[in-house]
Amino acid sequence: MAYLKVNGKLVELNEDGFLVHPEEWSEDVARAYGALVNIAEFTDNHWRVIYYLRDYYERFRIAPMIRKLCKDTGLALKEIEDLFPPGPAKGACKVAGLPKPAGCL
Amino acid sequence: MNLPYHPAKKEDLHHLGIEQVDESSMKERTLDLLDEFRKFARSFSVMLETCTRCGACAKACHSYLGTDDFNNLPAARAGLLRSIFARYFTWSGRLFRGFAGAREFDADTLDTWASYFYQCTVCRRCAVYCPCGIDTGEIVLAGRNILLRMGIAPSFLVTIGRNELQTGNNSGILKPAIIDSCSFLEDELRDETGIDIRIPVDKPHTEVLFLPSSSELFTNVETLLGAAKVFHILGVDWTLSSVMLEAANYGLHFDVEILKKHDRRMRTAAAAVGARHVILGECGHGWRAARMYAEGANGPVPFHLEHVLDYVAKRLPELNLTRLPLRATLHDSCNYGRGTGLLDSPRQIVKACVEEFVEMSPNRERNFCCGGGSGLLMDEMHDLRMQFGKMKARQIQALQPLDYVAAPCASCKAQLPLVLKHYGMGATVCGGVMDLVGKALVMEEMKAP
Repeated sequence: MAYLKVNGKLVELNEDGFLVHPEEWSEDVARAYGALVNIAEFTDNHWRVIYYLRDYYERFRIAPMIRKLCKDTGLALKEIEDLFPPGPAKGACKVAGLPKPAGCL
Repeated sequence: MNLPYHPAKKEDLHHLGIEQVDESSMKERTLDLLDEFRKFARSFSVMLETCTRCGACAKACHSYLGTDDFNNLPAARAGLLRSIFARYFTWSGRLFRGFAGAREFDADTLDTWASYFYQCTVCRRCAVYCPCGIDTGEIVLAGRNILLRMGIAPSFLVTIGRNELQTGNNSGILKPAIIDSCSFLEDELRDETGIDIRIPVDKPHTEVLFLPSSSELFTNVETLLGAAKVFHILGVDWTLSSVMLEAANYGLHFDVEILKKHDRRMRTAAAAVGARHVILGECGHGWRAARMYAEGANGPVPFHLEHVLDYVAKRLPELNLTRLPLRATLHDSCNYGRGTGLLDSPRQIVKACVEEFVEMSPNRERNFCCGGGSGLLMDEMHDLRMQFGKMKARQIQALQPLDYVAAPCASCKAQLPLVLKHYGMGATVCGGVMDLVGKALVMEEMKAP
């Protein structure tokens, strides 16, 4: 079983590296994820994407369409890929504490 | 078990009604299932009894050519099951054992099945080259079904199977999200064209139910937008369904029971909106599942079943298309080229949409697989999948400089951009056929200047 170390506490991850218990998410969890993929510092754009995703998921129980995410955050896909490598689905959703998007992706 | 993927956990398998089988009863249970499957599908036992080990399949298989792993050679892959079949179900194998190609069931048997039946993309190219017509894909699918009933399957497939059973789509999108996404896309279409183009959901008394591919409400929206524009211009009375949002039927990849249940869901979805015409979008395996298995699974299909590319090709003369300044090729999805014979329509459409169309070589039913078919899109198989994509990369490399690879299947669309990037062709874009139509289509009621 994999864990993410957050402020000395262990947060359980599934085999894809996503949170086993999504309720354990916090900004510190996001930063700990960030450290794993070399996000040096979280900018306003990082938080804008993270909270947009979390809010959307809260309302619709699914990640938003990538195109909608880009439009509503005002960020181009390339920018989101740079903010959350490797990209929105496997990068940003993970850092934001959403489940891994499933399907032909 | 040393598997190239994350195996599904016991509790996840419960969602599919599967109980993991005890170590102690694995042999007995496997042989029972093998017996069940050989009786269920006569073709399966014929193919198990027929191989002459001539090796013609070696050069046909992208998985073997890409990995150089002996067990990925189709005859060897099938041999993993064939040798067990020979030992327990043929007189020669029972009598002459190893001399008749038979092998005892042992601790490694299921490990090798679980590993190598998921390193085949069921592209069925080997069947085109086999002088006996053996379809190793059929053997692999039977093997995967047996493994699942033993409680062995990739977590990736089990999650999607569960989502399909619970929500009717791969991602688990619920109706409020479908409505939200579609109204967003309607706004996008209005911004682009100045026209009110609808993407209806669950519209009652509708002529056409449209089932796009998985991911068109997540990543590949251009494909859906292309279809919406065409339906609008042609005045088609159509709708999406929240009962079954996508053409995908992952049951085809590993579970006959899901295949049947999900096919029933397609009938329910069509009946719910009163559709007598069901059009499937750019989903390779979904089209094969519907076109080739629906009737066998649940009896006569009570509506006209058609692929969106056949539909659009038929109505091509009615569309005002401008040629896009692209040099483009077509990747024949295996489930079209070899699975259902959907070969001419996509060509006809792409040719009408771009300035220069070039054919891959080989193509049509001899085309190489992208390397991501049959549910192998899990991240942990990325490196293997890049090896599976080697032959495809070689085919595309030969056409460079190339702007666009039209790949009308969601799995191919997920896999090919990775292959292009991996093999240094990141400048070539991969997308759907309907994406091109959407961009080439001259909308009659254009935005006022």
